[in-house]
Amino acid sequence: MFDKSKIGHSFPPFIIEVERGKIRELAIAIGDDNPIYQSRAAAQEAGYDDVPLFPTAATMFGFWGNTNLGGELLGLGLNVMRILHGEEEYEYLALIQPGDVLTGVTTIADGKTRQGSGGSMDIVTMETRYTNQRGEPVLNAREVVIVRE
Amino acid sequence: MYYEDVQVGDAVPKLTKGGVTHQQLVRYAGASGDFNPLHTNPKFGELIGVGGIIAHGMLIMGFVGQMLSDYVGPTALKKFGVRFKGMTHLDDVITCTGTITEKYEQDGQGYIAGKVQAADQDGDVKVAGTFVAALPHRGA
Repeated sequence: MFDKSKIGHSFPPFIIEVERGKIRELAIAIGDDNPIYQSRAAAQEAGYDDVPLFPTAATMFGFWGNTNLGGELLGLGLNVMRILHGEEEYEYLALIQPGDVLTGVTTIADGKTRQGSGGSMDIVTMETRYTNQRGEPVLNAREVVIVRE
Repeated sequence: MYYEDVQVGDAVPKLTKGGVTHQQLVRYAGASGDFNPLHTNPKFGELIGVGGIIAHGMLIMGFVGQMLSDYVGPTALKKFGVRFKGMTHLDDVITCTGTITEKYEQDGQGYIAGKVQAADQDGDVKVAGTFVAALPHRGA
């Protein structure tokens, strides 16, 4: 059962550098062969200063920036092996480019326990706010996870 | 693309992907950093009763992201969110579609908003969501 006193709890900040190679790797995995994700030269040819962020690139910031998230969720009593993804939302606040160094802070924004036919489940909303090396807010990520008990 | 070029009710050009493969999921796990064995190890999927490997929901959101990137360009996006509504299995062929629902101006900047979804070969919806993009004015 989700402990409601954890609403508002923030995990320690994590740092992730935006890398051209990782954007390229993500685009290739998704099967997007748009050259703007492949190299700086191709991106510049298309009118960008550098390789742009793929729309879902922030998922890499979360997983690779904070490899300890599973342990942190376990610490809140959430079994990450029984986790399902409910929702994901990004708010793009400012341009993010390769070489930027982002700081992410993840907060438990909401949580509740629901009784269903197959037992109870916890529904937890996490928000991660990213700022860049100049302290400017650049991206917010909101994620809802469902953990079956 | 310009603000003036888009009308409410317009379709976002649809994107049909090749069938999801096991290799793609391994590749996506490495790229994204999501190593939940549900997405790469068939035995794990059987163990927890979902009948084998299930694709990362975020891969399917990525397909929708590719459609939006092709449509408005990645740096035009201001908001993009989805709900995960169904599990995607190996060999599923996903088609992404979208419709413009709104256009408006705020502080001289033009915005378009739309709804998007991804569904498999049987029409089963995997993800559904919305986006907002900022578009320049023609001649500005």
